[in-house]
Amino acid sequence: MSTEEPIPYPFPRPGALDVPAELRALRDRPVIPVVLPSGDRAVLVTRYEDVRSVLTDPAVSRNLNRPDAARMTSNNKMFQDEKMDPDPPEHTRVRRLVMKAFTATMVENLRPKVQEIVDELVTKMENGPCPADVSEAVAFPLSIRVICDLLGVPTEDQDRFRGWTDRFLSTGKYSGPEIGAAMAEINAYMGQLIETRRAHPRDDLISALTQVHEDDDTRLSEYELHWWCRLLLLVGYETTASQIGYMVAKVLAHPDQLARLRADLSLVPLAVEEVLRWKLLNGSLSMLRYVTEDIEVGGVTVSKGTSIIPAVESANWDENVFSCPHEFDVARADNHHLTFSVGPHFCIGASLARSELQIVLETLLRRFPDLRLAVPVNELGRSEGTLIGGLLQVPVEW
Amino acid sequence: MRVTVNRDTCCGSGLCVVAVPQVFGHDDETVVVVNEPEPPAALADLVREAARRCPTGTIRLLDDE
Repeated sequence: MSTEEPIPYPFPRPGALDVPAELRALRDRPVIPVVLPSGDRAVLVTRYEDVRSVLTDPAVSRNLNRPDAARMTSNNKMFQDEKMDPDPPEHTRVRRLVMKAFTATMVENLRPKVQEIVDELVTKMENGPCPADVSEAVAFPLSIRVICDLLGVPTEDQDRFRGWTDRFLSTGKYSGPEIGAAMAEINAYMGQLIETRRAHPRDDLISALTQVHEDDDTRLSEYELHWWCRLLLLVGYETTASQIGYMVAKVLAHPDQLARLRADLSLVPLAVEEVLRWKLLNGSLSMLRYVTEDIEVGGVTVSKGTSIIPAVESANWDENVFSCPHEFDVARADNHHLTFSVGPHFCIGASLARSELQIVLETLLRRFPDLRLAVPVNELGRSEGTLIGGLLQVPVEW
Repeated sequence: MRVTVNRDTCCGSGLCVVAVPQVFGHDDETVVVVNEPEPPAALADLVREAARRCPTGTIRLLDDE
């Protein structure tokens, strides 16, 4: 296998709402050699059960601070910091402090507040010019307000932190110095905010974490406090906002499925899971891991020292788990997709994202009986050179 | 049915707590606790689904039969 020519990953996408052509036959083999944007090599895990087992295997590490580990890109060390251990039990210990604000119960309690924001944004969109861009009218303002409220970050600073996120998640769009400058700015910004909340605590996560550190710095060091607060802000809104944009576009692009949904809005939660299964955001580059002991994947030995990517989009397309995976089915049952990952790195914001997606979809369908895309599907453009790869605009009319 | 959990692997998502609050809860550290280790048969399907959906496979079930 080592002599085989690796194929470039992530795979190109034929259209903004299409999955890569490579996905169709990918699971013929359980492990496929790939080359990453950095030029480094890794292997891709293709089948559902194997992806699950790699994501939960203690012999597969998230720590890429190793001389022989593949890099995602040549100039951006996203999520890697030699002072932070991204593996259990150390990671799990700190993550639990943060998880408190994102549990399914907390998110349930937040639903009325999310609905209130969505109602306000949708009313504003309705009273403004038609067509409108759902992404800027609803998706980004909603997800930014929710995460800012949770963390305790002033929403009016979004013009600054949106630029930092774009650089933090760059897979080629920005140069190394541009990324470095943005990271220095977010460090200074978050440092100042933490000091403000230390002096005047409020009912938000940054204040709560600062208090945990003050009480016992073995539970949360100063460094960890800053690292987590920065990370939650940088990755806390664009994923959800981009997913909302894709969801609206995807549902509107399938008139038959849209009609089913309109006839029965109780299908909205299932429709959201189906949109998530399609994984229209970029592939699984950010899932890159490192094998610390020889492991078996689908009958193939993957040796210690191999960099490995569990391909979630391929798992979500596995014919042995999902019937007719290439069909977009808003009422799909037993949809155990892996878009939020599984194991110790299961998406901390999964419940929050689900709730925002469900409320936006239900509200838009209820408020606009004739909502439709204002441009042909093939004119929808994707953001290139960043990890998330959201739609540039989602123009709709009603 | 008997419900056990592995507190070392729990990631605290709380999906089980929302799905079957009669059976699952969180402690102060956002780690799962089992309030009802032998849930009534009426809750069995919900508990099975919660175990299936647990992101870390933390919930283990022992069936009676």
